[in-house]
Amino acid sequence: MPITTTRRRLLAGSAAALALPAFARAQGAVKPRLTAISQWSAGSDGAAITALGKKFEEKGGVWQHSPVPGFTTDMMNKLRAQIIAGDPPACSQLKGPEIAAWSKIAPTVDLDAVVAAAGYEKVVAPDLAKLHKPAGKWIALPLQIYSTNMLFLSKRGMDKAKADKVPVTWADFNDLAEKMKSAGMAYPIANGGTRADDGQKFEASLAGISPTAYRAACMNLDKKALEGPEMKAAFAQTRKISDWCDPNVGVQPYATNLKRFVDGDMGMLIMGGWAQGVLKNAGFKFDDYVITPGPSDNGKPVFLLNADAFIFWQRKEADLQAGQMLMAQLVMDPAIQTMYSQITGSIPVRTDVDLTGAGWSDGQRTTAAALKNAMGNNQAVLSLAHNMAQENGLTAAIIDVITEYVKNKTIKPDEAVSRLAEAVEGAR
Amino acid sequence: MTDVASTATRPGRSATSEMVRRLPEFLVIWVPLLLSAAHLISFSIWTIWISFTPSTLIPVTGWVGLRNYNSVLASRNWQIAFDNLLLFGIAFVLLSLTTGLLLAILLDQRIRGENVLRTIFLYPLAVSFVVTGTVWSWLLNPGIGIEKLAHDLGWTSFHFDWLVNRDMAIWTIVIAAIWQSSGFAMALFLAGLRSVDSDIIKAAQIDGAGPVRTYWRVILPTLWPITVTVIVVQLQFAISAFDLVRALTNGGPGIATQLPALVVYDLMFQRSQLGRGAAAAVLMLLILLAVLLPYAAWRYVRQRRAAHA
Repeated sequence: MPITTTRRRLLAGSAAALALPAFARAQGAVKPRLTAISQWSAGSDGAAITALGKKFEEKGGVWQHSPVPGFTTDMMNKLRAQIIAGDPPACSQLKGPEIAAWSKIAPTVDLDAVVAAAGYEKVVAPDLAKLHKPAGKWIALPLQIYSTNMLFLSKRGMDKAKADKVPVTWADFNDLAEKMKSAGMAYPIANGGTRADDGQKFEASLAGISPTAYRAACMNLDKKALEGPEMKAAFAQTRKISDWCDPNVGVQPYATNLKRFVDGDMGMLIMGGWAQGVLKNAGFKFDDYVITPGPSDNGKPVFLLNADAFIFWQRKEADLQAGQMLMAQLVMDPAIQTMYSQITGSIPVRTDVDLTGAGWSDGQRTTAAALKNAMGNNQAVLSLAHNMAQENGLTAAIIDVITEYVKNKTIKPDEAVSRLAEAVEGAR
Repeated sequence: MTDVASTATRPGRSATSEMVRRLPEFLVIWVPLLLSAAHLISFSIWTIWISFTPSTLIPVTGWVGLRNYNSVLASRNWQIAFDNLLLFGIAFVLLSLTTGLLLAILLDQRIRGENVLRTIFLYPLAVSFVVTGTVWSWLLNPGIGIEKLAHDLGWTSFHFDWLVNRDMAIWTIVIAAIWQSSGFAMALFLAGLRSVDSDIIKAAQIDGAGPVRTYWRVILPTLWPITVTVIVVQLQFAISAFDLVRALTNGGPGIATQLPALVVYDLMFQRSQLGRGAAAAVLMLLILLAVLLPYAAWRYVRQRRAAHA
């Protein structure tokens, strides 16, 4: 990276030096130490954070990571207990609007100086940056990005349906699904039946039909948009998707269907990029499938953004403070983000990382290009199903309606629209 | 033991040594009892207090009156959970009662291998509900379980998709719960059957009553105190059912098999709405009291009657 010393940079640098005595001390006397909690315990996620810990130790730090397996909310329960006990971890996983909500219940670390020193703000998508500085100051750092609406196409499934055209719009997608069905695939879509999975079916539908309506309805909870025609169309598309899914999946996750997907018994999967890490971990090859941006009716990619992040909690101990600064530097480091994303299948937060190298997959390159394209067209929106658009309580109330609609085929799209609007009203 | 007994009866021992002698009793019985009572009561009071506060992520002070209760009672989740509780509670209690009684009567016929059979029927009780739920979720899954087995055996018209059918899914929980706990009802009933005075039975036989009539008119009426106990214990389980549902359907398909305990957990630990979660928990407590208070009253009346007799 070329270094151009501007006045602003110099100012930021000196501010960093002034504001961070702990940082200065870290270089000298104390050995940086970091207590961290996250949900990443196993599989590619566990491997990635373990690798990050190794890097932390290489820099002379003491790495104390306690994973809390399960959903993000399980990790939050531990975080809540630690905060109430007055002993928060120096750093914890947290993402989306939860960063703003949780930062109100316990003091966080002001990261402005270290972020400015690294020049991080310029290389982060603005919508994403906003989530990590809820009161104007950086208190959390995004680590990796996924799109929740990538379309995975099974190579064998495409061959079976004698299809070679990658679907761009929902109409294309629906045609392809029908084609696969008439080629003998009982269930052309490999999605699972968890709450998040049902939420993804809906958010992919709505954002693909109209990213503007998605932004208004799901991100801004605009009453008119919540009752708008795009919502009805999105519910109708969601019904189509669920009709093409295997009902026997029950409430199991999508991963149970991955083998059938690769074998070509199921042709498509609408899932986040993390499925790539899971497929890789399960021993499947990159050329078993193709990854493309999810269907978008205006032809330009829509990116449903999901980003994992670390939030830093205020601690008095000098070694923990030093550890926080070291961790912050590592998280923003392009080399670390590269290492991390190559393990998990995500893409780096930094928009300036080069993805042409051998360690990256075509899927990741496609995802990164989609993000760039979507940001240019203002079509990068925050994922509802993965808790990026709203706080947990509201998200859960909305997903209740969606998951019930997916499972209960007697509910009409009209009815679902009004139920959803009511649920939003009730949860507010 | 003999030592203690002899010192206790020896006259002229001081009050202090009497206290020392009774100290273990006190420590073993009263301390844990008081501790757990304090625990239970203080946390119940605390939960009731939280249910009136605007707490979300963490407990906070403040007063919102009945707002949390209103929003819980108005939510679809709670309404579905409550309807399910009625259905599940009644179906589960009645069916486990009848299954347990039937098993007990069959076992009571002085059959060979009674011990083995009794163990088999009682064994599910030793399995955790999470295991029961997981195993049944596999058995009942149409894609891998009983339906698939029937299809593979050639019976292709066989259809059993209750687990993924939102109208019938609640019955899968009933099935699994009965499998798990009718052995418990059986054990209690069997003990009851065995304690019936054999002279009464013989008298009935001499009077010419057949086996059905003997059971129906003579033996079963003596079992009703046990029946009440079984009903109360099973209802308590039904109202607080959590682990079984979570492992079997997790409230799904959609939110079709929500139960109150799931709603409480969901509000508190998944949605970070402590106030509403506490309100739902208090509502559950009220439902439990609606079962337990009449039972306590019934026992009180019975004991008084026994004392008078």
